[in-house]
Amino acid sequence: MKFLESLLESRLWALMRKETTQILKNRQLLFLLLFPPTVQLMIFGFALSPDVKHLKLAVADYAGTATSRELVAAFANNGIFDVAAAPSSPQAVAEAVRTGRVTAALVIPPEFRRDLARGQTPEVQLLIDGVDANTAGIANGYAGQIVRQFGYTLSGNVPPAIDPMVAILYNPGLRSSWFFVPGVLGLVLTLTSSLVSSATVVREKDVGTLEQLLMTPAAAWEILLAKLAPLFVLLVGEALLALGIARLVFGVPFLGNFLLFMVFTSLYICVGVGIGMMLATVARSQTQVVLTSFFVNLPLIQLSGAIAPIETMPEFFQVVSLVNPLRHYIAIVRGMLLKGVGFEVLWPNVLVLGAAAFLLLAISANRFRKQLE
Amino acid sequence: MKRILSQCAKELTQFRRDRLTVALAVLLPMATLLIFGYAIRLEANNIPLAVQDLDRSPTSRAFVERFYATNQFAPVDWDGRGNPEALLDAGVARVVVIIPPDFSRRLDAGKIAPVQALIDGTDGNNARVIRNSVRSVTNFYLGTRSDTAPAITLRSRLWFNPGREEALYIVPGVFAVVLAIWPPLLMAIAMVREKEQGTIIQVYASSLSAAEFLLGKGLAYFLVGVAQAVAVFALGAVLFGLRLAGDPTPLVVGTVLMIAASVSFGLFIGTRTASQSAAVQAVATSGFLTALLLSGFIYPLSNIPFPLSLVANIVPARYFIEITRDAFVRGTGWPGVWSAPLLLAVLGGVFFMASFRNLKRMQLPG
Repeated sequence: MKFLESLLESRLWALMRKETTQILKNRQLLFLLLFPPTVQLMIFGFALSPDVKHLKLAVADYAGTATSRELVAAFANNGIFDVAAAPSSPQAVAEAVRTGRVTAALVIPPEFRRDLARGQTPEVQLLIDGVDANTAGIANGYAGQIVRQFGYTLSGNVPPAIDPMVAILYNPGLRSSWFFVPGVLGLVLTLTSSLVSSATVVREKDVGTLEQLLMTPAAAWEILLAKLAPLFVLLVGEALLALGIARLVFGVPFLGNFLLFMVFTSLYICVGVGIGMMLATVARSQTQVVLTSFFVNLPLIQLSGAIAPIETMPEFFQVVSLVNPLRHYIAIVRGMLLKGVGFEVLWPNVLVLGAAAFLLLAISANRFRKQLE
Repeated sequence: MKRILSQCAKELTQFRRDRLTVALAVLLPMATLLIFGYAIRLEANNIPLAVQDLDRSPTSRAFVERFYATNQFAPVDWDGRGNPEALLDAGVARVVVIIPPDFSRRLDAGKIAPVQALIDGTDGNNARVIRNSVRSVTNFYLGTRSDTAPAITLRSRLWFNPGREEALYIVPGVFAVVLAIWPPLLMAIAMVREKEQGTIIQVYASSLSAAEFLLGKGLAYFLVGVAQAVAVFALGAVLFGLRLAGDPTPLVVGTVLMIAASVSFGLFIGTRTASQSAAVQAVATSGFLTALLLSGFIYPLSNIPFPLSLVANIVPARYFIEITRDAFVRGTGWPGVWSAPLLLAVLGGVFFMASFRNLKRMQLPG
């Protein structure tokens, strides 16, 4: 009780109250904390869909046999390809792919009929627009499967003798939003925490009110803490908002321990605030702080596995990403939300977050103090 | 015209004075190109795969060998004892293949041999790729065991990018992302700073008209944008070996229009927002995010679901990506991309008019 009383009468408390009222008056800041994360989650969750289906396929069947028509039907019924055009000439086939009107073109040559009659293996051709290398590769794989499957039914051959029974864990419906949403949660927290904390500190430098604060008897750490504590609370609120959207809009599961998750999230917010503080000590004006924050945040996000999985990166970047706190936070989010694992698995990630938070806050607070004195 | 040019010259002088900003204006686009160009790869290689081989026969070993021969999978060091799910929980492996004890016996007897594959579905896209790979490795292995000819063969030809080099897909897209974010960001900051510092009042008081002011300011950042474009194109050619595939004029015209549209967008944001951090958030959310996600940069445009696909139509980067991919990969030229520059010009015009109206409204009549 005594402690609480002394806290309420303290200078720190007064400063905090001042900062809190300032933040609450700042409608734009509140908007910035609420609006971008919502929009980002929605766009990421809904727009990024790597499924390959409904690819436009041009079909040129120069054989015109019952078998070739069945093969075309096998392509059309697969859900991967939509027959979009039936060009009349070889030139028109090439043109359709060249101008990007169709993604692929299936050409069944006239020899198909002859080979089939002679009992030879007939050949069909597939032209694929390779501009999108990823889609092209997947389309190629599917086309191979369709033709092979069709071949089995045609020859009445034995079905495959090894039956791979595939079980998909953690995300049986293969919903891509379940992958992206935890990543965006981390991304949003990084962007807002670093930007908001650096902007608050630098604005005072810019406007010159920091000097006024220094005239007060408050210590540098008190000024800093009073500034950051209300922001911290708001950022925790932002994390909860993002989590709520993930649950309600995208149905992302939450299998881990909620309290533990909030502890780790708070730790990560400290990292973000630490990054912002660091930037604030480097930059002299708001313009500079904003540009440097982009300079730092972009690699942090790109090398975090938020958008592109880390395993697909070149080895060098995989190693670099090990020191990226966002990578570890996203691993924690995905682990706790989707896999339901806890500290026993995630401790290395938590350790890195803790070290990063400590280093960033200690160095920047120190630099901040030096700048003031 | 003279007043526009002198406004532009003044703006460039101001820009030059802030050395850190100038350095970042050049470095940021290049860093973006480097990071996106190298780090975004959609095709997974070296996926950690663990095997629990309960059969331990030459047949099962040959089957397992097939997985690692594709270089799509990398072996996980595991003795095969314990719970395979724990490996997925800890993220040590992305997929575990479990071969039952009677695998080779059943196979030799001509019976179906079931094999189990547990896949980490956290990343749905990767999981789908892994599932397909497991199936095709199995099929390939079966093909090596039997000597009957397939009923039909498929001969695929990949046009424009036969080696499926992902850089050829990603890097032209990065050009668009770079030009969709850095010129408008610098522009918006420059515009909003004028408001924050109150210097815009001087402009209102001067004889400069709103249009002249915007054009002069825009022209300055248009030139900065051109410098950025040249820098990233050059870097793309050197590092990723990108070469023009055909007629360069659509690219030149398209780049000019893209920068103009981007700068106009920055002006628009600058006239709408009140502080630099707000302007940055606005550009980051509406410009960067849409360029990244609603432009077909990562996954095909056709995958974007209905209401969002409408938004995609007003994203300039989307049209510029069509132009760059054609210029550097496909090489069709004007017949393939004639509409994209047109739509860029329209978007740029709309953004400029919108910022003009915003500024007009702020100005005192007279």
